[in-house]
Formats: sequence, structure tokens, C-alpha cells
Amino acid sequence: MTGEITREAERDQAVDPNSYAKAILNILADFSDEKARLSGVQKAILNILEDSASEKVWLEATQRATLNILEDFGAETQKVEQTNREMAKEIAERKRAEEALLKAKAATDAANQGLELVNKELEAFSYSVSHDLRAPLRSIDGFSQAVIEDYADRLDDQAKDYLNRVRAATQRMGHLIDDMLALARVTRAEMRRETVDLSALAGDVLAELRKSEPDRRVECHIEPGLVAEGDTRLLRVALVNLLGNAWKFTGKQARARIEFGAHPQKTGGPAYFVRDNGAGFDMTYAGKLFGAFQRLHTSQEFPGTGVGLATVQRVVHRHGGQVWAESAVGKGATFYFTL
Amino acid sequence: MDYCLHKEKSVNDKTILLVEDNPDDEELTLRALKKNNILNEVNVVRDGQEALDYLFCQGAYAARDPRRAPAVVLLDLKLPKIEGLEVLKRLRADERTRMQPIVILTSSKEEHDLLNGYRLGANSYIRKLVDFTKFTEAVRQLGLYWLVLNEPPPQMR
Repeated sequence: MTGEITREAERDQAVDPNSYAKAILNILADFSDEKARLSGVQKAILNILEDSASEKVWLEATQRATLNILEDFGAETQKVEQTNREMAKEIAERKRAEEALLKAKAATDAANQGLELVNKELEAFSYSVSHDLRAPLRSIDGFSQAVIEDYADRLDDQAKDYLNRVRAATQRMGHLIDDMLALARVTRAEMRRETVDLSALAGDVLAELRKSEPDRRVECHIEPGLVAEGDTRLLRVALVNLLGNAWKFTGKQARARIEFGAHPQKTGGPAYFVRDNGAGFDMTYAGKLFGAFQRLHTSQEFPGTGVGLATVQRVVHRHGGQVWAESAVGKGATFYFTL
Repeated sequence: MDYCLHKEKSVNDKTILLVEDNPDDEELTLRALKKNNILNEVNVVRDGQEALDYLFCQGAYAARDPRRAPAVVLLDLKLPKIEGLEVLKRLRADERTRMQPIVILTSSKEEHDLLNGYRLGANSYIRKLVDFTKFTEAVRQLGLYWLVLNEPPPQMR
């Protein structure tokens, strides 16, 4: 472009030197204007190019960042998916555990209901025994006595003896029923744990035994201050039976002695004991000792129903303890129990 | 049904109401009273409903004089129709029989029966013992106490 303008200017010079100069000046002015404009455009273009380059860098960076983000997002998505899977697994496990728990609860509820039912039945049974089983016995005993009284002149001694045997048997049966009911009561009675003064309890029981047979002379020794955690009423039942046995089986001893005390043990609480110097028993039969209706002596030797020690065992077991005995015939017996 | 046990005169004109469904126990109780020379009139009813009818002078006993209340009611617990403890409850809930002396006479020594018997307002609780000799003695003391020693509530005089 510059070259063309120069040639035009040379042509005009030939026509008029004045106008030629003017024209040149004009051209030059125009030219410089144009140049400035061009350089502005150039600058603008350069600027634009420059801007676009930085824009490109920026774009590239953005692109990289986006890619990074996308990459990160992918990893993150994987992580979230993994977490989701784990959570789903945990939820399923929890659900299973919950179901198992509900099942176990249902089973426990059913078992409890069954237990309650059995207890109710036992109660109904005891109630019926208490009311109904005694009534016929009273009839047998009562009318036997009525015959003895009203027809005495028509009965010989053997007839009277037979009727008295009938009466004795009914009374024995009555005692059996009472003892059986007591045993059942020990099993179903509710446990109320409290601090129990066993020494005082043993003292009460022995005082009652003394009152029942004031003529007997029995040397009693109670270790003072023996205190345990347990159900007072049940423990009283146990001591009534243990001390009652000691009292009964020393009945033929000229110098009877009954002792209540406690031995410390290597583990656990102390072993309480009731010791007597009475008839004792053969340890060969010790296994039968705590069974209901088991007796190691005949009723002629020592009366009893064979329920006492079974009752003691139930009381001790309900306290989570153990009961055992040591004895020899004629050498007395010692009954130990833990609580 | 009225049981006039002897033609001889009794110590007073007080009566006993025996609520008992077992005919053997009825016979033995009457025998025990007789043996102890308790010759007062004994009326026997055989279930809970009849006991209530007698004491409230209703039903078959509508014609009975309500002022002639028994000196004591001997109440068995296990009874047909309405059981003993329910009879006791209804008698104590009614103004007419609130103060009626009532003795539970039963085979049971179940704690539950004793507790509810006293809770519902029984005046006494006596066990019918298997041993008839002891039973006779219990009836003797019972008769003596409620027919002779005990002063009945004023409205029943």
C-alpha cells in the first residue's frame, strides 16, 4: 500500500510543485494518521491475541481442573458407591439382628407365658389339694372316731385297734399333704432378698422346739452374728427343717446337743452348718437324703414324711447355694449349706 | 332346713348358720356341736347363693324374719355357685349384714385364702383339721365363744 501512494505522489509532482508539496503533506498527514490507526489496530490485535493466549491458558487450566474434578468425582462416586454398599450391608445385618432379637424376645415371652401358666396350674393344683384332698380324710377320721364312740359296747378290742389304725393313717396322710403343700409353696414363692440374721432366726426356731417339748433337755449352741443375704421366710423354712431334724434325731440321746454355726470356705461365702449328736445315718444312702418322700429311718424309729430335706434343698437352690451332709450311724449328723 | 339337735333347752336362743356343701363335713360339724352340748339351732345352707338368700331373706328365704340374724355364720370357702370369699364380700358390702359375725371354717390354710378372708372382713379363720378329736375341740371353743362369750353388734340383739 505504501508503494502505491508514493507513485501517485510522483505523478502529482509533475503537474504542480505547490500542490505536489501540499498533497505530499496531506498524504503524509494521512499516512501518519493511517499508521497510527494501523498501529492501534495492530496493538488491539496484539492485545486480543495476547488476551486470547492468556484466555487459552486459562481455558486449558479450567479444562485440566474440570478433568481433575471429573476424575476426582469419579473416584468420589466410587467411594460413595462403596460406602453405600457397606451401609446397605450393615442395614441388612442390623435388620437381621433386630429380627433375631424380636424372635428371641418372642421365644422368651412364650417361655414366660408357659412358665406363668405352669405356675398358675401349680397354684390351682395346690389350692385343690389344700381344699379337696383333706376333706375325705376328715370324713374317714371323723366317722371312724364316731364308730369308736357310739358303738364302743359292740366293738371288741381288735375292731377298736383297726379303727385306730385307720385314724392314724389318715392323720399321717394329712401331714403328708401339709408337707407337700409346703414344698410346693417353697418352689413357687416369690424371692425377696434382704439381710437376714440367721443366728436370731435359729434362736427363734430352737425356742419354738423347746416350747413344743418343754421336758427335753437339749444343749444348744448358736454362733452369734451370722448374717446372710436371702429371703427370710424361705430361710426360716430351711432352718425349721434342719433344726427340727436335729431336735428329732437327738430324741433318744441322754445328752443331746445341737449346734448352729459357719465355716469359712476357700471360695465364696461361708458354709453354714447344723450339727447334732443324734442317731446319724449311713453315708451309703446319702444320695437319697434330699429326695422328696425318701427316708433313711422307719416311722417307728423316728416319725416323718421325708419332705423336710427336699424342702431345705429347694430353699438353698433358690438362693443359688449348695447343701450337703456328713454323718455316721450313731455319731450324729452335720448338714452344711451355702447361700 | 332347720336342725333342732336336741329337745333339751339350749343356753340361749341364738342360732348358727352353717354354710357347707360337703354332707360329711356337715354331719361331722353337727356331731361336734352336739358332742359339746351346744344345742342351739343350726341352719344349714349348701351353696353361696343359698347363704346370701338366707341372710338377705330373699328367694326361698323371703319369709324369714330379718331381725333373727344368726349369732355367727360358719362359712366354708369352696362352695358351689358363689364361692365363700365372694359371699363374704357381698355380705360386707351390704348395710344389713355389714356387722354380721362371720367365721371362715375351711380346710385351706393357703396364705391367699387367709389374707383375702381377713381383708374382706372375716371375724375369724378356723381350719377344719383332719384329726376329728382336734376338730371337735375347735368346734367346741367356736360355739362357746360366739354363742356365749361374744356380745353381738347392737342391731342384731
